[in-house]
Amino acid sequence: MRLYRKEGNTVHILSFPNENVEKGDYLIIEDSKKNRALIVQVIDVQFANVPGLIEELLRDSTSSDSDNVDLALNGQDFDPLEVASHITYIQDSSILICKIRANIENSRISTGGTWLPSRSQSTIKRLPTASLLNLINISQALPISLGETKDSTPLNIDATALDGRLNIVTGKKETGKSHISKLLVLGLVQHGAPVVVLDLNGEYAHLGLGGDGKQNEYGGKVHVLIPGANFKVSLTQMKLRVMLNILLHALNLPGTSAREFRRIWQLLDERSTLTLQELGETIRNWRCNQHVRDALFSRYYALVNSGFFTDNASEALGLEDCFQLIRSSGGALVVNLKDTSLVDRQIVVEYILGKLVDLLTQHVVKAAFLFAEEAHLYLRETYWDDIVTRMRHFGVFTTFVTNQPDTIRENIYRQADNIFLFNFTNEHDLETVSRAARVDAETVKSIAFDLPPQHCLLLGNAVRDFPLVIKVRSLNVQTMGQTRLFFVQKTSSKANSI
Amino acid sequence: MIQQTQYTPTTTKYNFPPQALQDATLPQRFIELSLRSIKKIHNNSALYQPYQTITEDAINPTEEVTPVFQGQTTLKLRTIPLKPRPSQKPVIAIDVSSIKIGETNTGIILALRAATVWKQGSRGYRYLRFGPFPFHITEENRQEIYGLFHQYSINQPEAGTLIGAPDIVHIQTRMTTLLERWLQTQIAAQSKNSLILLDGSLTAGTNDTSIQAMQQLLDTARSNNSIVLAFTKITRLRLNGCNLTDLINKYPPPCLLQTDGYPTTAYSHIRFLGDIYVAKLNPNGYAFRLDIDNTITNQQAVESVEHLIANDLVTDGYPETLRLAHIYSTFTANEVIGIQRFLAQTHGIRIVQRPNVRRLLFGPFGKGPSES
Repeated sequence: MRLYRKEGNTVHILSFPNENVEKGDYLIIEDSKKNRALIVQVIDVQFANVPGLIEELLRDSTSSDSDNVDLALNGQDFDPLEVASHITYIQDSSILICKIRANIENSRISTGGTWLPSRSQSTIKRLPTASLLNLINISQALPISLGETKDSTPLNIDATALDGRLNIVTGKKETGKSHISKLLVLGLVQHGAPVVVLDLNGEYAHLGLGGDGKQNEYGGKVHVLIPGANFKVSLTQMKLRVMLNILLHALNLPGTSAREFRRIWQLLDERSTLTLQELGETIRNWRCNQHVRDALFSRYYALVNSGFFTDNASEALGLEDCFQLIRSSGGALVVNLKDTSLVDRQIVVEYILGKLVDLLTQHVVKAAFLFAEEAHLYLRETYWDDIVTRMRHFGVFTTFVTNQPDTIRENIYRQADNIFLFNFTNEHDLETVSRAARVDAETVKSIAFDLPPQHCLLLGNAVRDFPLVIKVRSLNVQTMGQTRLFFVQKTSSKANSI
Repeated sequence: MIQQTQYTPTTTKYNFPPQALQDATLPQRFIELSLRSIKKIHNNSALYQPYQTITEDAINPTEEVTPVFQGQTTLKLRTIPLKPRPSQKPVIAIDVSSIKIGETNTGIILALRAATVWKQGSRGYRYLRFGPFPFHITEENRQEIYGLFHQYSINQPEAGTLIGAPDIVHIQTRMTTLLERWLQTQIAAQSKNSLILLDGSLTAGTNDTSIQAMQQLLDTARSNNSIVLAFTKITRLRLNGCNLTDLINKYPPPCLLQTDGYPTTAYSHIRFLGDIYVAKLNPNGYAFRLDIDNTITNQQAVESVEHLIANDLVTDGYPETLRLAHIYSTFTANEVIGIQRFLAQTHGIRIVQRPNVRRLLFGPFGKGPSES
C-alpha cells in the first residue's frame, strides 16, 4: 500500500490486489522519520484510475461473448515471460478512501491528524482490531459482549459506556436491531442495572427463557408486565400530574375540562376516596357545564375500559413495586405492549414515564435504562426533548430502537452518544442517520450501505469514537422476534411430503 | 537478491504454438535474447521513465515512399468497381507494435508485441498475440539483436550482406519492422489459399525491408496460392497534383482506382513490388492506398479484394482483421506500467522519473510538441 493523497481528514491510499483491504478496516500509516503515525479507517474502496484502462476494457470486450457468432473474437496469448500477470495486477489496483481517526506520537494517541506523512517514506499496514482496541484502551470493567469483528476479534463494550448516555439502534427491517437491543438489555441486567423495556411487539417477553424453553440465567431477573393483566395500578398510586398528562396527551382532554378534573381529583384526594368508582360518581354529580361533564365521562370510560386501572388493592402493582423486584441485583421490567391498543399504549407509557421521573426525583430509584422500540408509536411529541435533556439528568438513560430513522428528530441524533447502525440502502435514511455528531456523514453512508445482515457499525462513546463493524453474536434465548408467516406451514409440509 | 525469471528452452510453454508457426527458432532465440538483455542490467539500476509513452506510430508515422507515376502519354485513372465475392478464403492480418519503456544508463528498454488475427467463413475472428517482449538495447548488444532479427527475417541470409545495426535512436523502428516481416513470412509459409493483410506497403529496398525479404514474402505467399494485400493508412499518393484518395470519392464504392502509369522514385535502390491502387471499400469509409503483389494478374488482384470485402467485415473502409491486429498489438499506458513493474519485480530495476529539463528551464512554456 502506498500513500497517494490527503485532503482534509481524508486520505487516499493506493492498494494492490493481494492486499485485500475492505471497507471498515483500520490501517496505520507510520512515518518512522517523524516518529509519528496516523490511524485511518477505510470507508470506501474504488478502482484506481489507471491510464489506458478504458482501451484495455474495450479491447477485452471485443473478444468476449459476442451474440453474433460471425463477429465473435477468440484467441490466445503467447506470453512466455508472463508479463500479463503484472498488467492485470495494475488493472486490479484500487484506491482506498480513508478517514483519519487518530494520531500517534511518542506512543500516545490523540484525535485528529494535522501533519502530513511522507509519501515515499511512510509504511502502511493493516491494524488488527485487537491492536486497535489495545491502543484506544476500551474499559473492560463491565463488559457486554456484542460479537466479533471481521478479523474474529471478540468485541466487548463497557456497560459504563451506556451509563448516562443516549443511544440509538437503527437499521432497516430484519437486519438485527432487536437482537442487539436484547444483547444490551441482558448485558446491563448481568451487571445489576435496572432496565425498563417498552416492548411493542412482545419480543422481549421470553428473554428469561433459553432456546430450549427452559429458564436461563436471566430467568429470575426478567419480569414481564402485561398492562391490564398482571400490571394494573390504582388511582392512589398515581399523582394528579401523571393523570393529567394521560388525560391531556393520551386522551386529548380540553383545558377547561382538565381544570374541572383537577378539582374533582383534589376533592377525592382530600376525602381519601380516590377510586375509579368514586371518580365516576363524582363526575356524575359534579356541578358543571354539560359539555364538560360529557368530556370528563368519555375520558373516564376510556380509563376504565383500558383495564389498566383498578380499585382492588391486591391487584394493583405500582411501578415502585416493580422496581422493588430488580432493586437489589438488577433486572429488566419488560412492559409488553403487544396486545394493547394505541390509546391504552399511550396511557401506559405516560404513566410509566411520569412515575419513573417521580421515583428518580425521590431517589427511590438511582437510575434506569429505558429501551423504547419504535417510540414514535406511543411517545408524545414533547417527550423527545424531555428524554434527551431533563429526564437524562434525572437518571433515565434511553435507547431508541427504530427502523424508521426519520421518526427520530435531528436533535436526538446530534445528542446521541452511541449509535448501533445496521444496514440501510435507502439514501434518505442514511442521510438522516448521518446527522449524528459522533461521526462524519461519509463514513455512515458508505459503510452502512454495504453492511450485511447481523452486522452492525458501532459509533460513539462505546468504541471511543473509532467506528467498528461487528458481526453480532447469537443469543441463546427465546427471542420471539420472528415475523409470523402464512406460508411457512404449507411449504414445510410440502417439503416433508417430498 | 533479484528474483530471476526461469527460462528453459525445452519447455513447450516457451515455444510458439506449433500449429501457428512452423519455424520456432526465432521466438526461442528471441525470448532468450530478451531475457539475456534484461538480465544484463545491473541490480538496482535505474530505469528513467520517458515523460510520455511513445509508441512506434508516434515516432515513425507511416514511412511511406511515395511513388511518382510515369507513362508515355497523359496519365489516366481507371476505376474498377468491386462486387463482393463470398468464399472460404481465410483473411489473415498481422501487426506489430513497439514502445519505449524507458532509458537506462547504458541504453534503452523497448517492448515489442505482435498480433495476428484471422477469419474464415462464419467462424468469427481468432487472434494469437505474442509478447510483450522487453529488450534492453545497449551499444554492446544492439548488433547482436539486430543480427538475430535480420538472420531470421529471410530464410537464407546472404553472407556478408548484413547491414550495420542502426543507432539506438532508430533501433525501435527497425526491430519492429523486422519482427513484423518475420511473422508475415511465417504466416505466408503456413497459410494456403488465403488473403494476407499487412499494415504498410509493398515497397522494398528501404532500411527496414530489403528487396530480397519482401520478394521472399510475396513468393512464399504466392506458392501457397495466397495473396498479399498491404494497406497504408495515410498516403500522399498524387496524380497531376491531385490527391488520389480525394479523386476516388467521385466514384461509387466499393471500388478501386488505378493509374495507367508505372510507379517510380528518385531512389534507385527502392523497388515497388506491388501494384498500387487506391481503395474505397464501403460507402461511408475512408480511402486507403492498397498494394497488391504485382506478379499476379490484374484480375486476380481485383478478385482478391472482392473476396476480402465479402469475407471480412469492413468498417470505415478498413478491414476488421487488420484493425483488430492493430488493436491487439498496441500497448496501453497501463501495460507500460505493468511492464515496468515486471522489470522491477523480476529484475530489481528501479523506476525513476527523470526531471523534465524543459519544464525546469521554461516552466509552463516548456512543453514538448505533443503537449502544446
